[in-house]
Amino acid sequence: MTTVRRRRFLIVLGLAAAIASAAGTLSATGSTQATSNVGQKPAFVLAQAPAPKEEGKWNFDEEEEAAPTWADDIRAQALDITLVAAFSALAFVSFFRKSVRLHYVSLVASVVYLGFYKSQLISIVNVFGLMGGNLPIFRYNLGWYLLAAITAISTVLWGRVYCGRICAFGAFTQLVDAIVPKRWRVNIPRAIERRASWIKYGILASVVAYFLITKDPLIYPYVEPFWMFGLHLRTPVLLTLLGTLLITTVFVRNAYCRFLCPLGAFLGIVSNLTVFRIKRWSECSTCRICEKTCEWGAIQGPRIVMTECVRCDDCERLYADTKKCPHHLILIRKADILARRAAQQ
Amino acid sequence: MLSLLAASVALTTAGGQSTADARLKRLFPTATTFSPKGGDPPHIKAFNGETLLGYAFWTTELSPLERGYGGPIVILLGMDTKGILTGLVVIEHHEPYGDFSIEPPAFAAQFKGKDVRDPFKLGEDIDAVSRATITMSSAVRTIRASARRMARSYLTPPSASPSK
Repeated sequence: MTTVRRRRFLIVLGLAAAIASAAGTLSATGSTQATSNVGQKPAFVLAQAPAPKEEGKWNFDEEEEAAPTWADDIRAQALDITLVAAFSALAFVSFFRKSVRLHYVSLVASVVYLGFYKSQLISIVNVFGLMGGNLPIFRYNLGWYLLAAITAISTVLWGRVYCGRICAFGAFTQLVDAIVPKRWRVNIPRAIERRASWIKYGILASVVAYFLITKDPLIYPYVEPFWMFGLHLRTPVLLTLLGTLLITTVFVRNAYCRFLCPLGAFLGIVSNLTVFRIKRWSECSTCRICEKTCEWGAIQGPRIVMTECVRCDDCERLYADTKKCPHHLILIRKADILARRAAQQ
Repeated sequence: MLSLLAASVALTTAGGQSTADARLKRLFPTATTFSPKGGDPPHIKAFNGETLLGYAFWTTELSPLERGYGGPIVILLGMDTKGILTGLVVIEHHEPYGDFSIEPPAFAAQFKGKDVRDPFKLGEDIDAVSRATITMSSAVRTIRASARRMARSYLTPPSASPSK
């Protein structure tokens, strides 16, 4: 146990160091182009001291405005940052309160806001970015970095919360699942389901390999349906793939998230670190209620498979249910027996 | 899409001089000769006979720190001697959302005839493309910064200051 914990601590430490160093380079490049390449003449410094408007000068904005414009950049992105923060707050309040109603509210918000309005989900493209060291400039993309940071940190702390609450496609398929009549659903046998859940790691490995070899990120629409919110790619092949996936989704709940999503696979790998895990009772080794309830196939006997779990709260709500969870039922009965004995004496 | 990109990459590396000339011709259709690339910042001069028509330059060489989603966006820019953009060609990029933002001809078209002193602000004088904000803003910043750096280095500012 201690070695596992130590290893986890080391991994977290390594991640933190990596993030810190990345942030360092980002802020370095994010600062104005004034810090141009070494060896270049300083004649083209953009952020100069304010030059008075003169005849025979270009009088560009940069020369007129003295102060560095971080404040301006933030102001220009204020709406975006606020919306990302507000939406994430909603998603995490629903997660911490374990509220079914709020969960559905946040799912609808995800589809409407993150899907159709913003249409900028965390994507396999960002994994490519991590691999190739190509990330957007921090200063100009604060909203994106906020969402990415929330995704990374929440995955380390609680697991794939992103998949279950924030991702607009995941939210969409969960809503489809809530609407479609139960008798239409095809329940995949557990044995097949467990094997199928490995497909996404294969897809992740393949597309990352493809990217590293070709440096071409345009493979993404073939492995991710997230473009459906914008429908900007209308080739027959892609539309057929998307149509097939959507029809499958009607009958197999969350098929994409459970079996195919390479980003989910990536977050799944990260979620091995999960700090705050779901509580299990000693009774869980024999009881199968949660295992049967779990819509994500993430419970195997007494064990919760963190890489598959998206923190949907279903099992956690059961643990808290004193009328269904054997843990509570046994405790209540024990208390009853003790009380009766006490009364007899 | 993939093949198109592959083809363009192949052309830039193997096809060599003829594609480069064709691109320069698109920026300066009336030019008769082009100088070799040189100078600091690096550029190519376009001539019609003895007359200097303007400069062609690569954004990645003039604002090397700028990048979008998938690294730098390579754009060949043309600017005449008065600081008016004569056009641009998107040469190479690895933007996942580039095919519907910076690749369509409409993107390049709106820069033709722009003055280097224009604001170049996304959503103001340049049309924003939703779902491709990171790509678009990077492309516009790199065009703006490169053109201004070129102007500052090689052009004579107009004698009257702009009435801003």
